[in-house]
Amino acid sequence: DIEDKMLKLGGVTPRLYSQVLRLAASCNIHTTLSTFSELKAEENEEFRTLELRSKKFVRQPARVMKSHNVVPPRYKRQKVDQDWGNVWPAARTFHPASVPLPVRQGYPASGQVTPDKWGNAELMKIPNFLHLTPPVIKRQCEALKKFCTPWPSGIETAAEQEKYFPVMVSKSTYLHSSPTLRDQKARIVTLRVSLKSLDLDDHGRDKLLRLVKNRHDPTTDCLTIVADRCPLSQQNYDYCFYLLTVLYNESMKTEPWEHEKEVADRERYIWEGSPSQAALQAIIDSNEDSTPEEVIEEYKKVVIDLHNEGEDEPTLSRYRDSVMKLVGLA
Amino acid sequence: MTAVYMTQSWRACSSLRLGHSLFSNGLLRGLHTTQAAHKAQAGRYRVTRNRSKPLTYEMANQPCQIAHRKSWNSWNTTSLYEGLREPETVVDDIFIRKFMTGTWHNLFVSEVIIKRQHNMIRIAGIVQRKIAARKMYFLIGYCEELLSYWLKCPVKLELQTVPDKKDVVYKYI
Repeated sequence: DIEDKMLKLGGVTPRLYSQVLRLAASCNIHTTLSTFSELKAEENEEFRTLELRSKKFVRQPARVMKSHNVVPPRYKRQKVDQDWGNVWPAARTFHPASVPLPVRQGYPASGQVTPDKWGNAELMKIPNFLHLTPPVIKRQCEALKKFCTPWPSGIETAAEQEKYFPVMVSKSTYLHSSPTLRDQKARIVTLRVSLKSLDLDDHGRDKLLRLVKNRHDPTTDCLTIVADRCPLSQQNYDYCFYLLTVLYNESMKTEPWEHEKEVADRERYIWEGSPSQAALQAIIDSNEDSTPEEVIEEYKKVVIDLHNEGEDEPTLSRYRDSVMKLVGLA
Repeated sequence: MTAVYMTQSWRACSSLRLGHSLFSNGLLRGLHTTQAAHKAQAGRYRVTRNRSKPLTYEMANQPCQIAHRKSWNSWNTTSLYEGLREPETVVDDIFIRKFMTGTWHNLFVSEVIIKRQHNMIRIAGIVQRKIAARKMYFLIGYCEELLSYWLKCPVKLELQTVPDKKDVVYKYI
């Protein structure tokens, strides 16, 4: 018999089989009534239940989400005199259960108060400095102190620093919030040196200024060399010093063709051998009584100023006064 | 006969009349245009009849309120002068947001906040307590591990949990 075989196969108990058949009946699946009734007789039921309609659908109760046990918030378990630096050691997004402060953030809705710290995304967005409270900063400074050395003696003032360390080299490093730490601008090296500390004579200084052109700042008398042509800052640093060395050596040398310098090439007006000097000499010679020395010196100085510093109100007025004195009208 | 003229009334309607080409059988066919309606509808929610739509603080404040009542969700140095890697950061942010909302199924009740500091990425947000704490720990570790491999930098998750999503509702409209 098929049913016997099914029962013998194991795993199909009479009860399960009868349940399947009942389910089939409720689903209007055709079954052999004979087997059903045989099983019913086996289970010792007296009357068959006639089920014309399928069973009413019984709504199962809705699945209740288990409320998970939540640990009480941390601020209730904290001691008042705890070390806050251990609670908040590094920069962290605001966490309302750990911070014992009753902070509020946000624009209140009409009729409401400012939203509190629980479930407040605005408080989480903004950067907080809870990891940098004054005691923590003090502790960090104390820890850094052992890596610090005192400022060397003998170079306290700016003048001494300029004297012993005339060359100043500066370069910048850049930090971005990204996984890479490359920034092309970090290769730029700037070298600054005051021309007073380079022992140059007049010719050397003039030659150097012609070579460097606009890298020299006349107000501060500083030469600034910027190197960025090499990919690494170390290479640019070496290049800066190489340039400085070459500039100094070249300006100390005098090439033979430098004697071809003409009056128009001169960087400043020189009194000696100028037409003004010759004219003044003519005036002095034509003058009966000897002109005083200081008038001559003043005239010389004023003419030099007029040429070197340009024509403006003070220089012109001084020139006028000097000429008046020279001619004898003052 | 080619009278080309344009009349523009002060109301938002103007009609363009071409004399010759559209003139046939004594009828004029005109082209009516309106002035551009400069409407903004980004990030704005429609009011319901019975005030049933819940809004978080983020949703209630429109994009014009950023830097006034709202803050940014993404903090990095890319938009500063000569900041590097701006497009890559934007794409990474989009990916992180999709990944987080997809991994935490229906659990985020706020926007995903992404902060970049040095070479670290710190992801913050508010999460519902619908799943057990153990599952949360697993998800946190999973997200941190996989994101750090994909984005090539340390990733830290700093989440806040809320018992019910009604706790983040700011107002109903």
